Amino acid sequence: MTDIIIPIDLWAEDREAVVTAWLARDGAEVREGDLLAEIMVEKVQHEIRAPATGRLTILRQADDIVRKGDAIGRIG
Amino acid sequence: MAPTIAQKRWMYRHMLISRRFEEAIERIYFEGKTPAFNMANGPIPGEMHLSNGQEPCAVGVCAHLDAGDVVTSTHRPHHVAVAKGVDLKRMAAEIFGKAAGLSGGRGGHMHIFDPAVNFSCSGIIAQGMGPAVGAALSRKLQGKPGVAVAFLGEGAVNQGAFHETLNLAALWQLPVVFVVEDNAWGISVSKRQSTAVPRNDVRAAAYGMPGTYVPGNDPLAVFAAAGEAIERARGGAGPTLIEIETYRLAGHFMGDAEGYRPAGEKDALFARDPIPALRRRLIEDGSLDEAEADAIEAAAQATVDEAIAFARAADYPAPETALERVFA
Amino acid sequence: MTEQTGRNERRLTIARAMAEAVAQEMRIDPRVFLMGEDIATLGGVFGNTRGLVEEFGPERVRDTPISETAFIGAAVGAAADGMRPVVELMFVDFFGVCMDAIYNLMAKNIYFSGGGIKVPMVLMTSTGGGYSDAGQHSQCLYATFAHLPGMKVVAPSNAYDAKGLMTAALRDDSPVVYMFHKGLQGMGWLGTEPGATVDVPETSYTLPFGQAAVVREGRDVTIVGLAMGVHNALKAADDLARRGVSAEVIDLRTLVPLDRDTIRRSVAKTGRLIVVDEDYHSFGVSGEIIASVVEHDLRGLKAPPQRVAYPDVPIPFSRPMEQFCLPNPAKIVQAFDRMAQA
Repeated sequence: MTDIIIPIDLWAEDREAVVTAWLARDGAEVREGDLLAEIMVEKVQHEIRAPATGRLTILRQADDIVRKGDAIGRIG
Repeated sequence: MAPTIAQKRWMYRHMLISRRFEEAIERIYFEGKTPAFNMANGPIPGEMHLSNGQEPCAVGVCAHLDAGDVVTSTHRPHHVAVAKGVDLKRMAAEIFGKAAGLSGGRGGHMHIFDPAVNFSCSGIIAQGMGPAVGAALSRKLQGKPGVAVAFLGEGAVNQGAFHETLNLAALWQLPVVFVVEDNAWGISVSKRQSTAVPRNDVRAAAYGMPGTYVPGNDPLAVFAAAGEAIERARGGAGPTLIEIETYRLAGHFMGDAEGYRPAGEKDALFARDPIPALRRRLIEDGSLDEAEADAIEAAAQATVDEAIAFARAADYPAPETALERVFA
Repeated sequence: MTEQTGRNERRLTIARAMAEAVAQEMRIDPRVFLMGEDIATLGGVFGNTRGLVEEFGPERVRDTPISETAFIGAAVGAAADGMRPVVELMFVDFFGVCMDAIYNLMAKNIYFSGGGIKVPMVLMTSTGGGYSDAGQHSQCLYATFAHLPGMKVVAPSNAYDAKGLMTAALRDDSPVVYMFHKGLQGMGWLGTEPGATVDVPETSYTLPFGQAAVVREGRDVTIVGLAMGVHNALKAADDLARRGVSAEVIDLRTLVPLDRDTIRRSVAKTGRLIVVDEDYHSFGVSGEIIASVVEHDLRGLKAPPQRVAYPDVPIPFSRPMEQFCLPNPAKIVQAFDRMAQA
């Protein structure tokens, strides 16, 4: 099991973000490095990529508010 | 930069072809339109903007161009088209609205396209400039030789497109030359009434490009200025703005009463007609003798006669072809 | 879209699908290049050119000055000279500053050359509101462009269509106006319609112009829309289904050419027609669709066709005012109710 963590250095300020889109579906088999999600801080979008290969479990849905360090999904 | 004898003869011949062509059109235009003037009647319907008098601009510039170079022109395009090598028969047929015309009668005299020599024009003031800049960009991106020249009138310099395209061309250092044909009048409004500066070459400075003013409607002076600019463009040194003092011997369009002209202006202009002036100069400097000059005149007339005869004899398009060629 | 399972699950936003289509074409066709405002380093205000300048460099992905007349006019000239330019008009509302290049040059040069030249260019432009940007940054103007001959007009509702229509546009020898709705881009800050983010094949593919998609089959009413209207129609169809009404939803996908046959076939089956359009009510897409049906055959109609379109007012800023004006699923259901009473 590997958590999909929002890197704490993805953006500089201490601001909340929102998950704008999951680019893979819950339960999908994903490969390490695949683009999985987009999250947005104000008007800037950031990419979240798969930290491992395996089956994706989505923990935080589109439109959810998230913070740096949060786990938005899991790969197992 | 001085023209060779061959170039001088070429310029003289093409000024004559343009003039004789327009004189023929002027004559034919009124067929069917007298005594009651109805623009839709006669073998040449529609608007007609003649360029008589402006031939020096066309030949002085196009003497430096070959078929691969790109030219965009205006609603007053015939002289430039002639100098650029547009198929005269098919242009005549287009002006007559015939199926054998360059676009099969879809465009008419303000929309002359001849892809074989990379010539096009737009009937909207200053709007041919963008495509010229784009053609220049295309050559730069493709690493292909060739320059683009945008012809425009002095009335076009107060359009946004003028300023936008000059900036873009200079910013990207594109191989393009902007040629302002200053015939002093935008329909009935004079340059002095419409433009805040007496000469538009100064506007080049606003875009960091060289600007040149060519007085006197002189084809040899135009040749010199255009030669420098086109050489600069071919060498990758970017665009140039040239303004040429010229004049139209006709009205803005056929049927223009020209009441806005000061008394005596037209007579003075005809006295300075650049075609007989060039003939005298070429004979004086030994580029031509009288017999050769006469032969060029006769050949020009024959070329025009052939084109006009072709246009007259050509068939009208089948009306339903109007529905074709909207898309490629 | 049909949901796919298993490996290689890959969803894209419309923004990403557009960029991917362009990138794939740029890799195989050196004639394709881009011009627009903020399309290079920023990746496009709406994200649809992200990653392109990094891969293809600033010669082929050109940030322009704010000079739409110059760079769209230039695209026309470059297209005639053998290139395949893609230009972005950031908001369709900006067409007022450059329309001559669009409708007098881009749209007419093929015709005025008697087919002698081609104008293979794509003008991509953002449409739509719903996020309080008021009437100079929120219009759709689909009909304005579709009305003027000489331009193909496409408006995708989801990322799969967005990619296929973009690739087709890039390969077309005629000018294509590619209208993408801001609310479907997946940009978050413009509000995001999740239904637009769908599975997209990685390989390059084209969708033919002039083929509408029946995105939901039904028996009782045909709801026709494009772009955001499709999503409103699908939601209304869900609501109607809960009441036992079976709605068929048609996504036009392209306005020029327009697939009238698919609409007529559907209405012949259902007998009822609702057109959803975020563009203005009068003289527009909704009127054209209805006319296309009724001029063809009146007999199958069980009720007068209805339209759910933007009222004929400039788009207001204030949120309650704008939301009042916009089409939505409830208005579509109400339109059906009006027909049911007829």
